Amino acid sequence: MEILQGFLDAIVGLYESSGLCYLPWQNYVMILISIFLLFLAIKKQYEPMLLLPIAFGMLLVNLYPSIMAAATDLVPVSDYLASHGGEAANYAVTTLQGVDYYNVPTTGGLFYYLYQGVKLGIYPPLIFLGVGAMTDFGPLIANPKSFILGAAAQIGIFITFIGAIFLGFTAAQAGAIGIIGGADGPTAIFVTSKLAPELLGPIAVAAYSYMALVPIIQPPIMKALTTKKERAIVMTQLRPVSKLEKIIFPVLVVIVVAIFLPDAAPLVGMLMLGNLFRESGVVDRLFKTAQNELMNIITIFLGTTVGATATGTVFLDINTMKIIVLGLIAFCIGTAFGVLFGKLMCVATKGKVNPLIGSAGVSAVPMAARVSQKVGQSENPTNFLLMHAMGPNVAGVIGSAVAAGVLLSVLG
Amino acid sequence: MDFAQRVTTSLTVLITGFVVVFVVLILLILLIMAYGAIVSRAQKASADRKARKEALAAAELETDNAESAEEAAAAVVTPAAQGGLSDEVVAVIAAAVDAMYGEGAVKVKSIKKVPQSRPVWSTAGILDNTRPF
Repeated sequence: MEILQGFLDAIVGLYESSGLCYLPWQNYVMILISIFLLFLAIKKQYEPMLLLPIAFGMLLVNLYPSIMAAATDLVPVSDYLASHGGEAANYAVTTLQGVDYYNVPTTGGLFYYLYQGVKLGIYPPLIFLGVGAMTDFGPLIANPKSFILGAAAQIGIFITFIGAIFLGFTAAQAGAIGIIGGADGPTAIFVTSKLAPELLGPIAVAAYSYMALVPIIQPPIMKALTTKKERAIVMTQLRPVSKLEKIIFPVLVVIVVAIFLPDAAPLVGMLMLGNLFRESGVVDRLFKTAQNELMNIITIFLGTTVGATATGTVFLDINTMKIIVLGLIAFCIGTAFGVLFGKLMCVATKGKVNPLIGSAGVSAVPMAARVSQKVGQSENPTNFLLMHAMGPNVAGVIGSAVAAGVLLSVLG
Repeated sequence: MDFAQRVTTSLTVLITGFVVVFVVLILLILLIMAYGAIVSRAQKASADRKARKEALAAAELETDNAESAEEAAAAVVTPAAQGGLSDEVVAVIAAAVDAMYGEGAVKVKSIKKVPQSRPVWSTAGILDNTRPF
């Protein structure tokens, strides 16, 4: 009989500690949303490398919120003293609603520890290390004026900032929302984790979803702002870039940017380090690791922990809707300004620059460059804009890191 | 934040961001153009020297070929010490020519480097990248 009683008690205990009892309804909604995102990632292939871990992290945290539990327990001081025979302890004291609590160290959840890489700004620069190792800056060095297009597309960030401020967000939050317009995942996460960590979940989901939607969002804007004649412009062959130039480039860029904008130094520095691994040709093993193993490991940790910040209470908020709308506006304005500056350069060079490459200034590498190629080719089938568009595209990566540095230094 | 504060903050950030991003990137443009010019001038000078050496090698090949008229599937032996083309490159070129025109009795008279506007590998790379479209 005792055994039976014990068994029943155990089952009741299990039931009472199960999620069925303590998960609020918001978590169930989030579970459905995460399943939808998994569908988008797997079936529709929306940036699956990132959206899949993000969606799954979201799923896990809404099933088991303690997976992100911090490594401290709040124990009321009176209870602690009672259980320790009146001996006071050296822990920090937090006062909530008039009651004193000790911050007793304990073991945090799995994602709590992995999340430290995001919170402390470690993962995004490491991802940039891999990105730099995968990027060929040749087209940009051959035609440095592409930097202008990379800068122009970042205006979307600052205009969205204005929109976000007027929609009720604080300045820091508005800065984090604006950076979505940079179309750069690691930059967005880096800035958000420093300026508005409470909005990391919605901003990351918005940023990566829009990056996947670049081929859908950009073409209509590009076609609306350019004439048929401008779209058909064929650009002259880029000059070949020597190895020495490619080696000097990363060193020069990091020196210039890091001196003028120290807040951008971690991102730009790691980007250029990765690029130097690639161009120097003498650190083959480091080069291979940076773009393969390291990228993959960090992507897994970053994706899952960023997704795990999207709890029901944070995500199912009117703010998330505002962020999604503002993110779209940021993208569209960035594309528009890129194309407009492309037109400006077209006029300035008397028709030598095809304005379509301007939209590649949003730093979604290489997607935005491919979109420029595609739209240009639909106008003139023999037109190969891809390499020319890669210039502004990679300039946009540097441009968005610089913009991030500005936001961090002004708002941080 | 009241309305006036919002306007101030947003315009401050807009103008600061705009100016700083453009200034830094324009500075980078100027520096890249500067070192690009320096490097390409230095490399042009060394490329001129190389071109002169290769013209010499081509001239050497012509005189060598005239001396070995009876060789079928000609594998021209050039002293490797002459700057520019090594034995293996000459052998490969001769073999390729032979494969194209076949049936032996191929006489390689001279080998000259043709300046390429777009290297073949670049063309292949571009075609590879754009084929999905």
